[in-house]
Amino acid sequence: MNKCTSSEINELLPDLEHGRLTALARQNVEEHLAGCESCREELRIIRIVKGAAAFEPSIDVDRVVRQIPPYRMPTLPREAPARARVVQWLVAATVGVVLIGGGALLRNRQTNSRDARVVTIDSSHALILPESMPSRGLGVALPQVRHTAALSLVADVQELSDGNIQQLMDEMDNFDALPNSEPEPVFAVDTNEGR
Amino acid sequence: MIPGPEERPEETDVELIERWKRGDSRAATRLVGRHSQALARFAASSGERDGIEELVQDTFVRAFASLDSFRGESTLRTWLFTIERRLMLDRRRAERRSRETVPVEESDNVSEYGALDSLIAEETQERVRRSLAALSPTQREVFTLRVQQGLSYKEIAEVVGSTEGAARVHYHNAIQKVKELLRNE
Repeated sequence: MNKCTSSEINELLPDLEHGRLTALARQNVEEHLAGCESCREELRIIRIVKGAAAFEPSIDVDRVVRQIPPYRMPTLPREAPARARVVQWLVAATVGVVLIGGGALLRNRQTNSRDARVVTIDSSHALILPESMPSRGLGVALPQVRHTAALSLVADVQELSDGNIQQLMDEMDNFDALPNSEPEPVFAVDTNEGR
Repeated sequence: MIPGPEERPEETDVELIERWKRGDSRAATRLVGRHSQALARFAASSGERDGIEELVQDTFVRAFASLDSFRGESTLRTWLFTIERRLMLDRRRAERRSRETVPVEESDNVSEYGALDSLIAEETQERVRRSLAALSPTQREVFTLRVQQGLSYKEIAEVVGSTEGAARVHYHNAIQKVKELLRNE
């Protein structure tokens, strides 16, 4: 027996049997059936299987209906009374005002206190504090002003005497503007790459 | 003369549901009468042996209790099949749990499908019964929903919780197997 080449029509066979096709589709299927033995056999099997299910179980409809509970309208969540809603709105508004006002006040205070901590150091290394700020209890370490030695040449190097050069070199040895700390120790890391 | 509510010829399922919601119990009677036989046949075809009426009743009780969740996207019958199938699966799970201590015998698988045993007498029908028994449970479900109930693949997919494509494949495999078995007998 040849296999059906029109799977689209073949799929409609149960619908043909159950009368679910339009007139046009029904006509197409019937025309196809006339020339397709495979589909004719399949339709025969569908009819046999459908007929085999012609079993009518006894269902007592009234008994089933008696077990069905009456319809209950789905209950929506109860709305709060109007007065309670007004109170809720008032509380919410109060909390909002307190939060916004408090936040603004706090921000203002922080800005003022930050201004009060501005100090300047003049050319004579004296601290100039704002009038409102006490000199004690600032809570910050004030810079320590320290005079450091400086070297300068007042003449050309060739004009310096041996004594002056020696003095300059001694001064340079003792000059503490250069970093005098030891370099950080370096630790060798063995990555085992050489093995 | 205006026909009474009982005489309305072709009330749709949705109209009957609305009537039942308004308190008309006769609408429920019509809905049960309209769909109960199909549900019973589907249960029998799916291998239910005992308590088919109870199963149908449970299906309707559950369906009516949750009719508000029926959105009308599928037909009421398809929705009822879905509920019934879920109940059948629950029943089978419960049966399996209760049989866990009993050793499973080889014959259990063969006789799983026996709903039509006492109902099909003729030789041809007996052959069909044997052919259907040889299908896998899913193939049998899909095949009977398509052939005996006339459901579309989309509706079948909804009932068995699958896709249209999978339902199509199950049906195709089932019909080939049934064809072969019936030819060889």
